[in-house]
Amino acid sequence: MSILKNVLLQNMKLQKNITRSMHLSPACLKSQAGRYRISAKKDFPLTYEMANPPHQIAHRKSWNSWNTSNLDGGIRPAETAVEDIFVRKFVTGTWQGLFASEVIIKRQHNIIRIAGITSRGISPRKMYFLIGYTEEFLSFWLQCPVKMELQTIADKKDIVFKYI
Amino acid sequence: MKLSITTFKRSQTYLQSSCSHLWRGLNSIGNEEKIEIPKRIHRSPTDILRCLETTISRDPTAAHYKYHDDPYLIPMSNVGKRTFAMAQEAGRKAAHWVRKENAELFNHLEADPVIPSFLPKLVYTEESKVTEDDLIKVIANCQVQDAQIVYKLLKNQGNKISADLQQALLELVCYYNCSDGIAEEFIEERWFRQSSNLKERQRKTWKDSSFAEELFQTISNPTAETYCTIIQGMNKYFQVDRAWKLFEEAQNKGFVLTTDTYNSVIRVANFLKESFDMRWTFIVNTLDDMNKAGVKPNLGTLNSVLHVLSTMGTSRTVKDYILNILSEFKSLGIEPSLGTWYYVLVTYCKERGMVSTILHDIMNQLENKEQQIKDISDTNFFVTAMDICRNHLNDADLAKRVDKLLHVGSNYDLIGDSYKESIYYRHYFILMSTSIPLEEFMSNIYDVLVPNIYVPEPGVMSEILKQIEVNAAVDYIPKLWTDMTTFDHTDRESLVEAVLNIMVDDVSPKKDTTLTESFAAIAWDIYVKVENQNIKKINKINLTGDLLGKVMLMLLKNDDFDKACKIMDKLDRDHQTVAGVPKIEVLELFIDHCIERKMPTRAIICIEYCSDSGFPQCGVLASKLNEKLTLDEDHLNRLSRIVGDMKLSSKVAEEVH
Repeated sequence: MSILKNVLLQNMKLQKNITRSMHLSPACLKSQAGRYRISAKKDFPLTYEMANPPHQIAHRKSWNSWNTSNLDGGIRPAETAVEDIFVRKFVTGTWQGLFASEVIIKRQHNIIRIAGITSRGISPRKMYFLIGYTEEFLSFWLQCPVKMELQTIADKKDIVFKYI
Repeated sequence: MKLSITTFKRSQTYLQSSCSHLWRGLNSIGNEEKIEIPKRIHRSPTDILRCLETTISRDPTAAHYKYHDDPYLIPMSNVGKRTFAMAQEAGRKAAHWVRKENAELFNHLEADPVIPSFLPKLVYTEESKVTEDDLIKVIANCQVQDAQIVYKLLKNQGNKISADLQQALLELVCYYNCSDGIAEEFIEERWFRQSSNLKERQRKTWKDSSFAEELFQTISNPTAETYCTIIQGMNKYFQVDRAWKLFEEAQNKGFVLTTDTYNSVIRVANFLKESFDMRWTFIVNTLDDMNKAGVKPNLGTLNSVLHVLSTMGTSRTVKDYILNILSEFKSLGIEPSLGTWYYVLVTYCKERGMVSTILHDIMNQLENKEQQIKDISDTNFFVTAMDICRNHLNDADLAKRVDKLLHVGSNYDLIGDSYKESIYYRHYFILMSTSIPLEEFMSNIYDVLVPNIYVPEPGVMSEILKQIEVNAAVDYIPKLWTDMTTFDHTDRESLVEAVLNIMVDDVSPKKDTTLTESFAAIAWDIYVKVENQNIKKINKINLTGDLLGKVMLMLLKNDDFDKACKIMDKLDRDHQTVAGVPKIEVLELFIDHCIERKMPTRAIICIEYCSDSGFPQCGVLASKLNEKLTLDEDHLNRLSRIVGDMKLSSKVAEEVH
């Protein structure tokens, strides 16, 4: 009896599979971007930002790039995106291993503000050097005033929201 | 938040006032008043920003806005303020260097219209192709070195350069003495540079037979302008003899020189003439010459004359000259600037001369007026005025008036640089701490200005500590100690001693134990800091017996017996290296505590120490210990070894009887 049931079920599954393959969308519904998998030991630290999947943007968390390029009538959408990637790579590379959060890029008029949380891995003096260097270099590159708005944390655990 | 509340309030009052206008309007309908629409006032694009800016004053609870608003990045000491700001500027310079080294990568044009300061600077070499336009551009941008190179290139290519351009170039190189100054964009470097070293400035720095002089020689038919430029340049960098020769040459040729040229000649009268009389005659003659040539004097003339007079001693005549000059220029309609008053103060209030109250009169003139910078010496006024308030007049009310004037409008811009600012506050703090009640000083001045606007130097701190000692205001000690720790003052022997002495000498009955607790904590802090000093450090604080004794006393007052024991161990162990001995009262107190806690071994160590240090009281202490505690054989043996059988046994014998 059970064997019969299994065969039947398998057939049903097969049938289902056949019908499924006719659809185009269900395969795409499995969204993975911006989500983190639970680790075996459940000790993987997440920040608040990481803990919230992308659909929570504008509900529980906010954007990492603030600009009006993609609004109706906005200018330079492509350039803005590429520049933002450049800024992120430059900042994380210049502040080697110091940025504990995402690099937030805010554009208002011609000013770009780069915000983020850094750990206190280097002396404040060196941090000021890097601030001056990053601001000046990026303003040469992007040809507009660039400002950094940093907050520091004594311990990386300070920004852990939960462990998964 | 604060701002939004004020704006809200303001909009409320605005509403009220507009309502009342409306009422008045309704009532006056019957009168048929004609409404007059006021003429439009033309505003510049930044007027509204300026207007908003005036509503915000410096917030003393926050660090200066050039620093990041983060606990880790806010500077807490003078050294911190300087290093942080300079480090940021060093970073900016590093970026400039990267751009210079890789100029070809930075030529993309993002900004529209193009902003030249974001683009790499053009480098001129021997091979560069240049035109006259390039020269005009580099002169306009004050690139002194580049201008010289471009000029030479143009000459070599056989171009003819117009007289106007030659004059412009001469002006540039004379003003900057043929070398580039600190770029305008590096403001921190300008702010922290110590420019007030007058002696350094007042020596010949003019570059002889440099490009400026070459250029001057190549100008085939020099005009009055040419002469004016080179004379002013030479005088500015104290090449006075040659400048004087050129000055005479120009006069012989019958040129009419500008007022500024005359001013520069007057300014260096000290170098041209030896005695005071000759200087004064020289000034009078030069002014006469100006009059004959029909050149109108200006503020620069006034300040130059006063500059020379201020260096001419303390005699009555000099003061009279100054008054005469001031009234003469007043009748000419020339308004004196702060720099003028600076020279007057310097002349009237000399260290050795009579006490002069001229600052009162000057303040009456200046009170509540916003000042503009008109002369380079204007930045000396506030620091000198405060110096006179403290050292010359010792007048706190006047100091308050000067300080008030400093905060009128944008007068704070005239403070000069960081060095002058800190001297200003040093005088202000010391004067105020000694002349107004300590409580008022601490709450109105110290708490407001420290640490974000001013960090007291060790000298000022010791002055404040003295006042605390005089007023027996020990409540401030914990707060001041915290500040001293953050300002790195704890390595100063005199300050540490002062704090300890104040705590030890305080005999007032304690209302609460928190103060005793914090005193003990401070004393222990001092001990730990002194104990853990870097061996290589110069000016180390010496760990004396007296200091240890005081620390121990504070600990014992707070019943910190364990820590006191550690100090005792230290005293006993390092008897050879620690200079001096603590007071016997402290050791007695320690033994009392030992007795209280029934710890004879500790007490015996202390008695041993007493006897080693040669205190005659150790016998008394030993018998006291014997009396209060029942000692075993071992302890008795040790005690008798220290003080001898006699004293102990006599005591025991007495008890038996």
